[in-house]
Amino acid sequence: MIFATIADVTLRALLGRRRTILMLLLAGVPVLLGLLVRANGDGVRDVAATLDGIVIRVVLPLVALVFGTAALGSELEDGTAVHILTKPVRRSTIVLAKILVAGTLAAAMLVPSTILAGVLLGRPGQLGVTFALAIGVLVGSYLYVAIFVALSVATSRGLIIGLGYALVWEGVLAGLLPGSQVFSVREYVRGIADILNPAAADSIVGAGAVLYAAVALVAATAIASVRLAAYEIRGSD
Amino acid sequence: MSPQSFAPLPTADAPAGSPTAALVLEGVSRWYGNVVAVNDITFALGSGVTGLLGPNGAGKTTILHMLAGLLRPSAGRVSVGGQPAWRNPAIYRFVGLVPEREAVQGFLTGRAFVELAARLQSLADPAAAAARAIATVDLDAAADRPVGTYSKGMRQRVKIAAALVHEPSILLLDEPFNGMDPRQRIHMIALLRSMADAGRAILFSSHILEEVERLADGVLVIHAGRLAAAGDFREIRRLMTDRPHTFVVRSSDDRRLAAAFMTEPAVFGTELRDSRLTVRVAEFGGFTRAVARVARDAGVSLFEVAPTDDSLESVFAYLVSRR
Repeated sequence: MIFATIADVTLRALLGRRRTILMLLLAGVPVLLGLLVRANGDGVRDVAATLDGIVIRVVLPLVALVFGTAALGSELEDGTAVHILTKPVRRSTIVLAKILVAGTLAAAMLVPSTILAGVLLGRPGQLGVTFALAIGVLVGSYLYVAIFVALSVATSRGLIIGLGYALVWEGVLAGLLPGSQVFSVREYVRGIADILNPAAADSIVGAGAVLYAAVALVAATAIASVRLAAYEIRGSD
Repeated sequence: MSPQSFAPLPTADAPAGSPTAALVLEGVSRWYGNVVAVNDITFALGSGVTGLLGPNGAGKTTILHMLAGLLRPSAGRVSVGGQPAWRNPAIYRFVGLVPEREAVQGFLTGRAFVELAARLQSLADPAAAAARAIATVDLDAAADRPVGTYSKGMRQRVKIAAALVHEPSILLLDEPFNGMDPRQRIHMIALLRSMADAGRAILFSSHILEEVERLADGVLVIHAGRLAAAGDFREIRRLMTDRPHTFVVRSSDDRRLAAAFMTEPAVFGTELRDSRLTVRVAEFGGFTRAVARVARDAGVSLFEVAPTDDSLESVFAYLVSRR
């Protein structure tokens, strides 16, 4: 009951018109690319690499970042969260509802986008690769959102730090220091796709991806709950 | 902390931590980095209305936020209804907070916003509870409009309705009269009074003396993070009016008037500079009663008698300095 109430009001807040349109546009970019490729020929040779480069590297973390930081962090910033915080509600219930709604919203945009783009980009016989990556994106949506929700509770600069994590840590460092990929959501997403279809990705975390992803999801949720329980309101005199 | 120099709040004689004291601060301080926002404050309040009076930035909001469990005290203990306020969401079953910030999800209707509070309180019939609370703040007519279309006063009232929906025994309000028109103020004062008469403990902050005077049974005066005075309102009022004052006087013959004032026991001294007569007096009330008589006896016409330091700020500074 309380969970559903928080989820409902969170969904309505997140579906604010401008943000939803912007995120739909962003999620539409891979599909647009697919349409262009399809109009000019019969698909790319390596659909897995193309989807990895555009969806998993860029669109997935950005959409999850926006919904993840908006779900709780922006309510803490603008003060509307006070109305939920001053209720006899377990802090973990608040965090779980926020992650579930923001993650589902991100996945609802990203999974169809991945499948549609894969179908358009790929050649016949590559559907298995596309579906494996789409499952990875589904898991990645919730995982990224959970991490960004935790970040936005822990710091008022969640958006900037989250962007730094996605771009610098996962984008640059993972290439320079392959060992850091063990702490990279992108690598878990690829690892899950790898398990489902070895042609979808070649991940160094491999079968461990499911375990790493589960641990990261639980840890992010727990950290967010603990930090929210000790949350100190900003803007007192 | 030194004991109060006059009678404590009529409702505050319960020892700290006893079940009858609804709101208790014991040696509480709160600092942000090097800035001390609240400095070693102790009080205990029972049922009734108490005004938290002080200029902007005095620490009123910090005190209310600590009582509402939204800030950790840096030192000391804060408890509400006999329970610690910090990290204890269970207190919200009997505590209601009306924050000063207007932030309310603008896409919700007033009714949906109050019902949301009722649902989060796990009330048996959220719709009925919300309807009651909305009627209490006289907002029925606008209840089905989005909060985003509300005036400042209406938003204030819808927040109060949401804070009242579970009929809390303790109500904390941060500058509740901001943005209300005079009619709404009267309505709200009557509402809070009736809630206090029903045995609730109500603490509200204000920087306006008259608001506190009209509503509060007792008052806590806060200045620069310190408790400057606490007690019955009339007592505070007397302290404020009896403090030393400086007046600027304009008259038909300032020099002659200055000489006449010097024979008055209430007057410390006079100064005539740049054709401006300044009179320092020991006591506000005594001087204001004497000034017309002195001028008449001296055959001088008074044009203007103006206190120079009647700002609330100087009143608070004086109250702090006497402790």
